[in-house]
Amino acid sequence: MSGGTNRYVIVGAGAAGMAAAEAVRSLDKRGSVTVFSDEPDPPYFRPLIPFLISGKKRAVDMAMSGQGPYSGEGMDLKLNARIRAIDCQARAVCMEDGEKIAYDRLLIATGSRSRIPGEIEGTSIEGVFAPRTLASARAIAARVENGRHAVMLGGGLLNLKVAFALLECGLKVTLVVKSPQVLSQLMEPEDTFLIRDALNRAGLQIITGAGARRILSGSKGVSGILLEDGREISCELVCIGKGVEPNVGFDHESIQVDGGVVADNFTRCNVSDVYAAGDVAVTFDPITGGRIVTGLWTSAVEMGRCAGLNMAGRPTEYGGALGILNATQVADVAFVSMGMVHTKGRDFETHVCGSAGAYRKLVFSPDGTKLVGVLLVGDISRAGLYRSVIRERMEVSGIKSHIINHTLHYGHFIG
Amino acid sequence: MPEPKEIFVRVDRCMGCHSCELACAVEHSSSRSLYGAISETPRPKNRVYVEFVPPSNPIPLLCRHCEDAPCMHACIAGAIVRTEEGVVITRSDKCIGCWTCVMVCPYGVIGRHLEQHKAYRCDRCPDRSLPACVDACPTKALVYLTAGDFSKGVRLTASAGMLTGQGG
Ligand SMILES: Cc1cc2nc3c(=O)[nH]c(=O)nc-3n(C[C@H](O)[C@H](O)[C@H](O)COP(=O)(O)OP(=O)(O)OC[C@H]3O[C@@H](n4cnc5c(N)ncnc54)[C@H](O)[C@@H]3O)c2cc1C
Repeated sequence: MSGGTNRYVIVGAGAAGMAAAEAVRSLDKRGSVTVFSDEPDPPYFRPLIPFLISGKKRAVDMAMSGQGPYSGEGMDLKLNARIRAIDCQARAVCMEDGEKIAYDRLLIATGSRSRIPGEIEGTSIEGVFAPRTLASARAIAARVENGRHAVMLGGGLLNLKVAFALLECGLKVTLVVKSPQVLSQLMEPEDTFLIRDALNRAGLQIITGAGARRILSGSKGVSGILLEDGREISCELVCIGKGVEPNVGFDHESIQVDGGVVADNFTRCNVSDVYAAGDVAVTFDPITGGRIVTGLWTSAVEMGRCAGLNMAGRPTEYGGALGILNATQVADVAFVSMGMVHTKGRDFETHVCGSAGAYRKLVFSPDGTKLVGVLLVGDISRAGLYRSVIRERMEVSGIKSHIINHTLHYGHFIG
Repeated sequence: MPEPKEIFVRVDRCMGCHSCELACAVEHSSSRSLYGAISETPRPKNRVYVEFVPPSNPIPLLCRHCEDAPCMHACIAGAIVRTEEGVVITRSDKCIGCWTCVMVCPYGVIGRHLEQHKAYRCDRCPDRSLPACVDACPTKALVYLTAGDFSKGVRLTASAGMLTGQGG
C-alpha cells in the first residue's frame, strides 16, 4: 500500500482486464487502476473484428469504453505498452524499456493468441492471417481488395465468422477442415446437418477431412495452398483458425504456469496478491471439476469481474466455466452449444430430436439425474435456463421431460 | 434519484388470461392499436409470456432487469446497457444477433426477432407512465411499484419473492 491507497495493475485490456478494472472501481474509488495493453487500439469488443473486414462496422463502433457495462472511467490506460516481466518479489511489472511499475494487486489478463500449427509450411508468407486483433482485421481488409479466393484453415467458429465476412466482401471462400465435419469442438458430425446445409446455401465451399501441408507463394505473397493429399488450390488469402494458446510470454519466476496461469476458486494465483482471469487463466469446469482453459468472452468477463472484486477486498468465489458455452448464428441458422456435447463412445444418457428446421441434443449424466450438456440448433429459445440447470448441478427429475421436449420455462423452477 | 419502479408479479392473482401478452404486443407494434397490430408483418412481438406450471397454474414471465444482469455482462457487442431508470435494454443498432444473451438469461425471457435479427425483451414501456402489461392486467397480478412499496404493501408470497430474486 502507498499512503493507504491500493495500486491495482492489470496486464491486458481485453474482456477480462476491462471487466476487472470496472469491478475494482465499483468497490474502491480511491486506489489507482493502471491497465497495460500491448495493442495500439483502445479496448474493443474482440468478437466484432469480422465486421471490420466486411465493412459493416468501423473500429470506433467496436470500442468498449462507454458501451454495455463499461464506463472506461477512473483508470489509467496504457496502450502500446507491453509488459515484459512480472517481478513478484519486488511486486512490480516491468515494461519493454525497463521501466518498473509497482503494484499492490496484480491481475494477469493477457488473453490468448492464435495457434499457428508448426506442421504447416509457409505460415509467414504475406497474405496469411490468424484473425485475432483489430490490426489483423485491418490487414485482412487491405488484402481483400486484391483477392478473389480465400482459403480458411480450420472449421471452428472464428473461421466461420471470418469466412462470412469475406463472403460479404464478394470473395470466393473455401473452408479446409481436418475433422470429418465443421465445428467439431462444439458438436459431433451428425449434429451438424442443419448447419452444413446453411453453410452450403450461403455459398461456402467446404473440404472436410483434409489438412494443409504447405502455403504456396508467388510474387504477390500467397498464391495457393497444397493439401496433404496433394491437391493444390490457388488463392490470394489464407486465414488460420486452429484454436488459441494463452499469452504467457512474459518473464516471471514464481508464478505457476501449466498450460496457462493457474488460478484458484477465488481467481488467485499461487503468488500472493497476483490474480489471473480470462483466456490466459487455467480455471475449473463445474461439471467435471477438471482444470480447463476457456477461450470465451463470457467466461473472461465473469472471471475478470470476480478477480476485480477479490482484488478490491471483497472475497468472491468463481463458479467455474463451462468448456463450451457458445451461441451464434451461422447464415440463417442459430445454435447454442454448452457443456458436455461430445457423447460418442461415452456413457451419457443422451436424447436427440431432429426435424426439418430444428435439432436438439440433451445430455444427462450416466445415472440420468443431472443435465450436463445441451446442443440446440434452430430453436434456441430459453437456452439460458439450461445453462442454469447445468451450472447449478440441479437434480432434474421433476423437470426432465420438459428439458427433453424443450418446453422448460422459468415457472417450472418455482412451481 | 428516487427509487425506480419495477414490474412485480403476484402469481397467486394471475388467471392466465393473456391480456398482458396482447397489450405488450400492441404497445410494441408500429400502429399501437389492436386492429393495426393484428395485420402487421412482421407480427408485433410480446415480451411478457404467460406460461403454465402443472397442474394448471398460470405465471407471467418477463425480464427482471437483474441487478447484476448476466445478459449485459455476457454481450459480446456491448449492446446491452442499463438506463438511469434501472431498465436493462438491448440497443438494436449495436445488437449483432449472436444470441449470447439468450444463452445466459436465467429467466429465459429474451426473445429473438428473426426478421430483424435482433434480440428483444421487456423495455418497461418507456413511452408510458404505466407499462402496458400492468395496465391491461384485470386482476392486478402485475403491479408497477418501487421495491420498497411492493414489499410493504402486499402479502409477499414466497413464489413472488423468488421471482424478483436474482439469478446468474
Ligand atoms: C472473431 C472472434 C470471434 C469471437 N467470438 C466469440 C463468441 O461469440 N463468444 C465468445 O465467448 N468468445 C468469442 N471470441 C473469443 C473472445 O474474444 C475471447 O475469449 C476474449 O477476448 C478473451 O478475453 P481476454 O481478456 O481473456 O483476452 P484478450 O481479449 O486476448 O485480451 C488480452 C489482451 O492482453 C494483451 N497482452 C497480452 N500480453 C501482454 C503483455 N505482456 N503486456 C501487455 N498486454 C498484453 C493482448 O494483446 C490483448 O490485447 C471470439 C474471438 C474472435 C477473435
